[in-house]
Amino acid sequence: MIPVEYFLALAAILFAIGAYGVMTKVNTILVLMSIELMLNAANINFVVFSGFLGDAMGQVFVLMVISVAAAEVAVGIAILLNAYKIKKTTEVTALTSMRW
Amino acid sequence: MMFIEYTWLVPLIPAICFLIVGFFGNMFDKRHGGGFLAIAGVAVSCVLSVLISAEFFMSSAYVDVGYVAKSFTWFAFPGGFDINIGYYVDTLSCLMMMFASFISMLILIYSLGYMSEEGKRKQRYFAEVALFVTGMLGLAVSNNFLMMFIFWEVMGLCSYLLIGFWSFSHPEGDDASDNAASAAKKAFLVTRLGDVSLMAGLFILLFAFKSLDYTVVFDAASIAAVDHNLIVLASLLIFGGAIGKSAQFPLLDWLPDAMAGPTTVSALIHAATMVKAGVYLVARCFPIFTEASGVMLFVAVIGGFTAFFAATMAMNNMNIKKVLAYSTLSQLGYMFLALGAGGYMIAIGMESGNTALIAAGSVGYVAGCLHMVNHAFFKALLFLGSGSVIHSTGTEDMREMGGLESKMKVTSITMLIGSLSIAGFPFFAGFWSKDLILEQVLHAGDYGAAGWVFIVLWLLAVVTAFMTAFYMFRMWYMTFRGPMHKKSEHSHGESPRSMTIPLMVLSVFAFGFGFVLFFGFDSLLSIQIIGGQFRMGGMESGGAHYLVEFFTNVWTYVTIALVLLAIYLAKNMYELGKIDPARFNGDGESWLYKALTERWWFPQLYDQLSWKLGYGVARGVEFIDSNIIDGSVNGLSNAVAGSGELVSKAQTGDVNNYASAVIGGLIVLFVAVVALFVFMGGL
Repeated sequence: MIPVEYFLALAAILFAIGAYGVMTKVNTILVLMSIELMLNAANINFVVFSGFLGDAMGQVFVLMVISVAAAEVAVGIAILLNAYKIKKTTEVTALTSMRW
Repeated sequence: MMFIEYTWLVPLIPAICFLIVGFFGNMFDKRHGGGFLAIAGVAVSCVLSVLISAEFFMSSAYVDVGYVAKSFTWFAFPGGFDINIGYYVDTLSCLMMMFASFISMLILIYSLGYMSEEGKRKQRYFAEVALFVTGMLGLAVSNNFLMMFIFWEVMGLCSYLLIGFWSFSHPEGDDASDNAASAAKKAFLVTRLGDVSLMAGLFILLFAFKSLDYTVVFDAASIAAVDHNLIVLASLLIFGGAIGKSAQFPLLDWLPDAMAGPTTVSALIHAATMVKAGVYLVARCFPIFTEASGVMLFVAVIGGFTAFFAATMAMNNMNIKKVLAYSTLSQLGYMFLALGAGGYMIAIGMESGNTALIAAGSVGYVAGCLHMVNHAFFKALLFLGSGSVIHSTGTEDMREMGGLESKMKVTSITMLIGSLSIAGFPFFAGFWSKDLILEQVLHAGDYGAAGWVFIVLWLLAVVTAFMTAFYMFRMWYMTFRGPMHKKSEHSHGESPRSMTIPLMVLSVFAFGFGFVLFFGFDSLLSIQIIGGQFRMGGMESGGAHYLVEFFTNVWTYVTIALVLLAIYLAKNMYELGKIDPARFNGDGESWLYKALTERWWFPQLYDQLSWKLGYGVARGVEFIDSNIIDGSVNGLSNAVAGSGELVSKAQTGDVNNYASAVIGGLIVLFVAVVALFVFMGGL
């Protein structure tokens, strides 16, 4: 049996990679992908704790998170497509019109 | 008590007329703008006043206490202050009611002719005059100081409105209407100074007596219970109100300017209402004024000095109305002088328990009141007469008149009677009251430490009597005798009946009213002090005794001689041209002449004061307003806007930055939570 700490470390590393991506990537697609990484890191935590505690509720939550993430990506990409139509770019540094 | 119960109707009827005429005057009376209704209303008030007075003099109340008062609580406020509303009838209010309503009625009748060319604006004129009369009659019948003050202010308002009657379109053009507007403003503002003082006095009275009712304030027991100094202070402040309203020194300058209004309004202000209110106030407040002889001395000094001071300015004025205006100031000064001298003797008599002196002071009071009524008659007559001349010639400048006697018989004769009366020509009304005043002032000089002041005032008053006769006859000769000038050649001749009949009626009174002195007038208006309590009326009448007193007194003959000399001088100067007036004034170049035409630089003084003082204060206030108050508000809003601007820069719009901020915040939170756990001894 693999100790639970290994899974947690994996999830933490995944989360950190995702966070790093969100903070640094200029391409919006990559940012969305990084967000996906962070969500999945959380999902791994859910599954690990679910197994560790013997409670199925964690796995139910994972299903919930996956469906929400799918919907979120669908909306995100739709927005991105429209932004691309107007701005002819997908770089987040160019999409800054909602500020002061 | 048939009519006295209805005393409240005396001011109410003109008030109702004011409303009806003011709103509907032109509807029911196109030709006169509701003038007839106003006349009828004032006439009813006049008749009612006479009936009330007659009933009062025959009632037991007159004999017992000297007044009838009725009051209802109007409102009350904590601390035991009750403010009442009601009426107070005594000899003084009867006198005021009767002459004010009678003369106002005559002036209104005269106005029908004088204002005939005013068209639709007559409605406004008659309404405002009716309100003016309401103010005066209300003042006369008020039973407490607050009610009196309200009517006092109503008169202030009406004088403003009527002096500025032509401020929108003067028959003589825009300059004249500007002049009327500024004269109205001046009258309002200058009398306001006095009113503030009066109000302060009333607050002190309210504080001291917990009531403003005459019956309380004038009650010997309540006066004795109040701090003497408070009463003196209140008296002086109340007299300040009288100074403003009666245009005494130093608040005298508004009255000559008020000549910018229609002549009928001048007559109304000078004879029947407004300026008489100040005299009435002093006469009314005798029980508290006589608490200190110093207050009465002050009244006399102000009066005596104004009498002289104003008379000097009438000496060389070319405007027929302004000469009369200055003479009003001067005559009002006489009234205050008489009241002051009488009150001074009463005050000293009360201190020393000398009843004979109190009786002598009472004569001074009678002299002041008699002169007030006499003045009302002859000044109304003179103003209406000058109005008739102005109406006919279209000018107010006496240099453009002259020789009008042949064209205006009635006006010239009635004005001659008025002039003789004001000049104090023997047996005319003004003679009796003026001589009585002079005699009283001289008499007051014998008593007290400040007696010598009265000797000085008496000298001034005698000189003033000479000047009065001179300037009045200067006016009369310049207007009606002497060579005819262009304007008088083109005059319309005698004025219509509605104007001449009031003149004739008034001239009868201007000649004959003085004789009431021998028929019990002095008894009605006498002051008796019974056990420290003032009461009006009831003293034994002097009757023919006064005649003896007058004509055995050498000073009477001196004054008569001075008056005759003045008339003779005026005749030689202005009718016959034997003496050239230029000899006395260096062709109008001497400093005295200039000082007089410049009104002793009083308007400039006012202007300077208001400019320097008012403008300085205004500038200071403006500085505080725009820099400190506005500055702090603007600074606050700028600080908010600026810091918002600054902080808004954090909103880059860059998703990465937001994400970094969120994660950074998360890390900080995490570290903090962990640190807290460790610190608290967890893990």
